[in-house]
Amino acid sequence: MSPFRYLFIKEFKQFMSNPFMPMVLVLLPLLLMLLVPLAANMEVREIKLTVVDRDCSALSARLVDRISKSGYFRAGPSCMTYPQAMEKMRKGEADIILEIPYGMEKALESGKDMEIYIAANAVNSTKGSIGGGYLSSIVSDFSAELSGREGHDASVPLKIVPQYRYNPHLDYRLFMVPALMIVVIILVGGFFPTLSIVSEKENGTIEQINVSPVRKRDFILSKVLFYGILGVFAFTLAILIAHFVYGLASHGGLAEIYVGAMIFLVFMAGFGLMISNYSETMLQAVFMMLFFVLIFMLMSGIFTPVSSMETWSQYVTYALPTRYFVNILRAVCLKGSQFSDLAFDYAMLSGFAVVINVLAVVTYRKQR
Amino acid sequence: MAESNSDRFPVVIDGLVKSYRKNAPPAVNLGERVEIGRGELFGIIGPDGAGKTTLFRMLATLVTPDSGTAFIEGTDIRSGYRKIRTLLGYMPGRFSLYPDLSVRENLDFFASVFGKDIDENYSLIGGIYDRLKPFEKRKAGKLSGGMKQKLALCCSLIHSPSVLLLDEPTTGVDPSSRRELWENLAGLKESGMTIIVSTAYMDEADRCDRVAMMKSGRFLTIDSPEDIISKFGKRLLAVRSDEMFRLLRDLRSMDTVSRCYTFGDSHHIVLKQGAGVTAGSIARELTERFSHTGVEVREAEATLEDCYMNLEEK
Repeated sequence: MSPFRYLFIKEFKQFMSNPFMPMVLVLLPLLLMLLVPLAANMEVREIKLTVVDRDCSALSARLVDRISKSGYFRAGPSCMTYPQAMEKMRKGEADIILEIPYGMEKALESGKDMEIYIAANAVNSTKGSIGGGYLSSIVSDFSAELSGREGHDASVPLKIVPQYRYNPHLDYRLFMVPALMIVVIILVGGFFPTLSIVSEKENGTIEQINVSPVRKRDFILSKVLFYGILGVFAFTLAILIAHFVYGLASHGGLAEIYVGAMIFLVFMAGFGLMISNYSETMLQAVFMMLFFVLIFMLMSGIFTPVSSMETWSQYVTYALPTRYFVNILRAVCLKGSQFSDLAFDYAMLSGFAVVINVLAVVTYRKQR
Repeated sequence: MAESNSDRFPVVIDGLVKSYRKNAPPAVNLGERVEIGRGELFGIIGPDGAGKTTLFRMLATLVTPDSGTAFIEGTDIRSGYRKIRTLLGYMPGRFSLYPDLSVRENLDFFASVFGKDIDENYSLIGGIYDRLKPFEKRKAGKLSGGMKQKLALCCSLIHSPSVLLLDEPTTGVDPSSRRELWENLAGLKESGMTIIVSTAYMDEADRCDRVAMMKSGRFLTIDSPEDIISKFGKRLLAVRSDEMFRLLRDLRSMDTVSRCYTFGDSHHIVLKQGAGVTAGSIARELTERFSHTGVEVREAEATLEDCYMNLEEK
């Protein structure tokens, strides 16, 4: 039997010896892909609105009606004074306060400008800012309509009509699902082999291997390959869920997705190997891994778009391999892009995979 | 040189030095050349931190020496490590088999690591493995200490090595398992295997053909246990009284006593060279000057432990 084969068999036996690990392998992608997109919804709906209507005119009633018809807001009972409304916001019963000043209708009829006051609770900054944005655009729509109809201003106000392509309903889930597929690879393809190598260090079994004629190359390769296969398995599970539950990647592009996933798996394996070279215990390995994984996840556009980051940190994302993989996945899943469209991302991702594996081998040699 | 002798001396240690940190004294600093013969049971005793494990790790090619070298069956540990690994069985002090694999799976794995079949060398491990047979399916991590040790020994013997290194194999093992292990070692020695074993138990060191006493990285003496004892060359008395703790302090305060330590249920004292005292005069002094009761002093035969205790004094 070749050394590689019995090492591989040993990995398999070890993995199966405790039912916990196989369970993690199946449940991790399953729960991640099924629960998180449902729970972590960043779409803003059901904003609680409190109106302080000091005008109490037909016009103000029309405005409030217009706002509640938009579907984003749920107008609560209106208050008479601003402090009353503030009190409601403090209690969490209001996300946004809209104050309509006294005499609005009259003032508009006589052609004067009026100011409408909007106060948003920014504790939940997304809800606050997006809700405030929605509200002000509704109000300006409304005022433009008014001025158009009543003939005070002949010019038709220019209106921006946003058209969201590829994700027409701005469904946050479609944005999330590719990101979670990446998380699956990071966890299975990165953590599993690292912890397996470090546990051999902790158990001292690596010494027994080292005093045997087994080549280190075979030893490491058996782990990388075994956990690579597990990674592909978990990723496939994730793709199946993405396809059948969320209807993603219906344009085909499986080849593009898998090639990207393979390159990224190779990167994560090399990365994990490097971490294991520098850690003596599981605890060290987990913390080091977690540190980098958090940066990979939070700074490379997996959950928040790169374009909404600070400029300096946008440059940092170029140094993170996850940026390229998330690009590939989103472009293929949402736009149906092909290899030729994503040549740059594939090239960069491969570059990272090669460099990290060279580094891993070099640091591995230096150990002794 | 070493190569020509390699048939008679499977292990030759030649001035091995290894230090882990720059400014600290080296962990192992052997000036001399030590030749260990075929079929010899060579014991190494010494306090914790004497460098025993480092020496073993160097011989097992896990650590490269700073200078000096050693030859296993004529192969240099610095250059021929791939060959040495097939000749050597190494059992580290810590249990280091796969705890999540079963007894049988561990043995199968280590056999295939060396490209062997369990049946090929079963005669070698049979005696030990028969005791493990009932637990074949049990996970190695769930075995008792003695059983773990047996399994580890089986795994390091499965490729029929010519040299066996055992680093404190009996630490944390019950007395009957200890005795079994030493019986096994005696059997292996009969078959011509060269065995180097470190231990903290003096009764075990007595069973070795030769014993090296190691301290601060050096071998202080290398001799057969009998010769070490016969070369003790100092007068030794065993002392008891009703107040053993105060007795120890009082004995240490006496001018004629060079060293005093507890030994079983009595205290052993080593008399200074040329001190003209007898067991009777010591007993009288203890009763009269220190007012001890129930004093009992007798001449004692030196044991390996006495040699070991006095070694530390140097």
